[in-house]
Amino acid sequence: MRLTKQAENLLSVLKQESEVTVSELEDDGMDQSMINRAALELEEKDLCTIESSEVEKGYTLTSEGREILERGVSPEKELVEEAGDQPVSTSDDIWHKPVALGQARERGWIDLKEGDVFLTEEGANLEEDPVFQGLKRLKDGGEPEDPETLIERGLVEKEVATEKVLEATEKAEELDLDSIEERFNVESRADTPRTGKKHFYKNVIDEAKGIWLEMGFQEMQGEFVVPSLLNFDALFTPQDHPARELQDTFFLEKPARSSLEEFGEKVEKIGKVHEDGGTPNGRGGGMAGAGGRGPGNVLRTHTTAVSAETLHRIDIEDEELPKKYFKIARNFRNETVDATHLPEFIQTEGIVVGEDLNFRNLKGYISKFFERMGYDEFRLIPSYYPYTEMSVEVQVKHDGEWVGLGGAGMFRPEVVKPLLGREVPVLAWGLGFGRIAFLQMGLDDIRDLYRNDIENLEKTPVWRPER
Amino acid sequence: MPHIEIDKRELDELMENEVSEQKLREEAAFLGAHSWEKQGEHRWDVETYPNRPDFLSVEGLARAYRGFFGFEEGRVRYEPAPAEVEVSVEEPVKDVRPHIGCAVVRNIELSRKKINGLIQLQEKLHETMGRRREKLAIGLHDLSGLEPPFRYTAKRPGKVSFRPLESEKEMDLGEILETHEKGRKYSWILEEEERYPVIIDSDDQVLSFPPIINNQLTEVEEETEDVFIDVTGMDEDTVRDCLNILVTALAERGGDIEKVDVDGEELPVLEPDTMELDTDYVRNISGLDISADEIAERLESMRYSVKEGEMLEVEVPCYRTDVMHDYDLIEDVVIAHRYSNVEAEMPEIDQTAELSPVEGFSDLMRDVLAGTGALETHTYILTNEEDVYRKSMLPEKDLVRMENPLTEEHSIVRPSMLPGLLKALSNNRHRGYPQELFEIGEVSVCDDSDTGASDTGKLCYVACGPEKGFTDVRKILQVLERDLGVELEVSENERRNLRTSRSGIITCGDRKIGYIGELDPEARDNWELEAPVAVMELDVDTLHEAL
Repeated sequence: MRLTKQAENLLSVLKQESEVTVSELEDDGMDQSMINRAALELEEKDLCTIESSEVEKGYTLTSEGREILERGVSPEKELVEEAGDQPVSTSDDIWHKPVALGQARERGWIDLKEGDVFLTEEGANLEEDPVFQGLKRLKDGGEPEDPETLIERGLVEKEVATEKVLEATEKAEELDLDSIEERFNVESRADTPRTGKKHFYKNVIDEAKGIWLEMGFQEMQGEFVVPSLLNFDALFTPQDHPARELQDTFFLEKPARSSLEEFGEKVEKIGKVHEDGGTPNGRGGGMAGAGGRGPGNVLRTHTTAVSAETLHRIDIEDEELPKKYFKIARNFRNETVDATHLPEFIQTEGIVVGEDLNFRNLKGYISKFFERMGYDEFRLIPSYYPYTEMSVEVQVKHDGEWVGLGGAGMFRPEVVKPLLGREVPVLAWGLGFGRIAFLQMGLDDIRDLYRNDIENLEKTPVWRPER
Repeated sequence: MPHIEIDKRELDELMENEVSEQKLREEAAFLGAHSWEKQGEHRWDVETYPNRPDFLSVEGLARAYRGFFGFEEGRVRYEPAPAEVEVSVEEPVKDVRPHIGCAVVRNIELSRKKINGLIQLQEKLHETMGRRREKLAIGLHDLSGLEPPFRYTAKRPGKVSFRPLESEKEMDLGEILETHEKGRKYSWILEEEERYPVIIDSDDQVLSFPPIINNQLTEVEEETEDVFIDVTGMDEDTVRDCLNILVTALAERGGDIEKVDVDGEELPVLEPDTMELDTDYVRNISGLDISADEIAERLESMRYSVKEGEMLEVEVPCYRTDVMHDYDLIEDVVIAHRYSNVEAEMPEIDQTAELSPVEGFSDLMRDVLAGTGALETHTYILTNEEDVYRKSMLPEKDLVRMENPLTEEHSIVRPSMLPGLLKALSNNRHRGYPQELFEIGEVSVCDDSDTGASDTGKLCYVACGPEKGFTDVRKILQVLERDLGVELEVSENERRNLRTSRSGIITCGDRKIGYIGELDPEARDNWELEAPVAVMELDVDTLHEAL
């Protein structure tokens, strides 16, 4: 015979006691659902019987019963007391009048004549209030003398519960416990332990990082504080472009300015490009040069500033092209916080620099990335950035809607030439990461990415792309 | 980005073709007006990009889409009549708002709807190219009651009065700035001026007080047939570009453009710019296998005119203020080809992937820490002095501080990871204890580098619970030591926010790596944490160097 540990335990109890109820077992510290499961298992094997029976569990007071107890006297006794002091008429205001009159008469305490109440001799000598006494005894845990009357009066109810009674069968009596083999329940769930775990948003970032590395990209370096030269001027962003206005960019009180020494002549070249385009075929944006704000520091508003710095660092004389770089990092916008806006956000930035690159290649890299991130439907539509041409918005299909996940394009010669030293095609993209995590994790408040609620961190599945 | 509202019936009428709603929804975005959404039976909301101010009117959109959808090709030719009206620019205005461009459009048939469209175009140009009227402002006037020639000049605030639009009474320029709604809204532009710009006719009637408001006298109404346009501003090119966008939009409505003599020069100048385009360059950049004929065709559908030769000679319409370089033409070739028809291609670039060494090292430590049973957090980089100094009681640092934060909450860059993690513990007070959290991230403080600040990688670990103490964090430190194969020493050291005698610095050889200790009860109270908190923060960059 094979039994679970729980059934075996129950059986050993049943073999000692001829009959036992579930609630008695519960009182011994067993879990109710465990007892029920074990009992069913034993019943199935013809080792025990399960009978339901009604058990009286004593009496409880009704609201009327409680009222009498609180008042300290029954209506019939009160009527008798009042009638003893002064004449009482049936038209007087009597507490629970019909009950009081009926009961007092039935007990032979009063007589009624022409609407007036007269005490009988028994009534006049009455000292005890049997109803109140009965109720009080019951409340103190005792047994009332005459429970049936109290029940009839509607002052007390009998409490009855259904109990499962378990009894060992003959087969069980004969069974030797030592002959039982333990049956292990593989189906029952255990408690999930608390463990250490990486943050779900970082899972998404790790995945993306892995994809760029698989494609042979090298990681770029860049810091939060950058001069406007890198964040705007080198990216051919006009001096009076709305993005530079105070509401979008965090300008810095400290450190307020950068030394642009390491950029050397490039500072001037960048300024010149704003004036005349800097290339034989171009004309400038008609904007003031970089001289004004160039050294003024900002918290980078996009990782494109890191790309600009990387282009600046490539030694065009010594290093061989093509090259491909990526970065996944935080950027900052001076925005008011709400469910869809945060002052910081993560972008994955990438550039590919090489003589033979073209727009089809840009589409190649972006489609590969999004495919690997689990999006099978995506599209590029025209967009605008001051520093790219073609300028592209990357959209993916999410729940039947096209959702923009970031920008891409080919850097304009006005950007590349001053930074790199000559005109070379550069594919570039800056894809918004929060949006990807936000959509795929089904969040409705972007602040949840930064909330760090322990329960949420524990229960959120480790992210992986749907592919 | 600017949105405009259009009536699809007007669009169809101007395109001389009815385009299905589905086509607008699915294909229109591929020309570069970002989104088309139907708002009412005929009403559509169109979102445009700031590089195409010529898309800010239904007339401009219709002109572009006539080409894009293949109803018409090549450049629209605008042939303005010679000037009859003269405008002289007088000396006083040259220091205030120096540039003005003017034009007349005659024989125009207006309706309430068309006037609303014009006002929308004017307002959107103010917001975008005009940078809220500072850079340029537009006036549209009914020419009929006015006596040319006009003078563009500047007057002292009390010297000139007229009855502005949306007002019942005559006011002088100063009163307009102080009391008129538009005056109050835009007075900042003239803040430092002693004289204000005005346009006056030969009967001394004021047409306009740019960039604030026009005279009610010249209001354009349904009966108006001849419109006088003035664009004033700070930059000559922008003023002229804007004038071109306005007059060509009106010409799309059948108006006849007539030049205006502005100080001897006839405006607007509607002749195209000519650019040369090398077809090989187009093929190289776009990656498209496309013949010179096809390139010309694409450009024609984008409303350029093209003469083929060794190089393509491309006439750029006068309203295309965004075209600055060959690249811009290439973009339009690819747009006409449609981005959706461009086949993706991955180039073969042989390069070994590389993660920055510190990044790889950080990932390794994240694995080790998660293995100890701690949860990784993701906290804000931006924070505030309240959290850093008052609540966390961190020692003074030379903070990176914003000049213009919208909220005090995000007004500095974190100099330490600790406040973020303490905040996370504080937010989890209602969850079960013990709690162990960690994060590896960057902090920034001022230094003497070129930018004046540098980022540093930090690892922070916190443990909180009734039984948690110094030893628990020390254990985790030892796990790091063991798994990274490094020897670290802890020596007793006082720190303001840590408990006396339960606080130390962590060193590796002669390098200071970080600190470890139990949080001072005062700092704990500040974060409303009831259970003891033990913490450590390590400098990841220095630790990496020490290995």
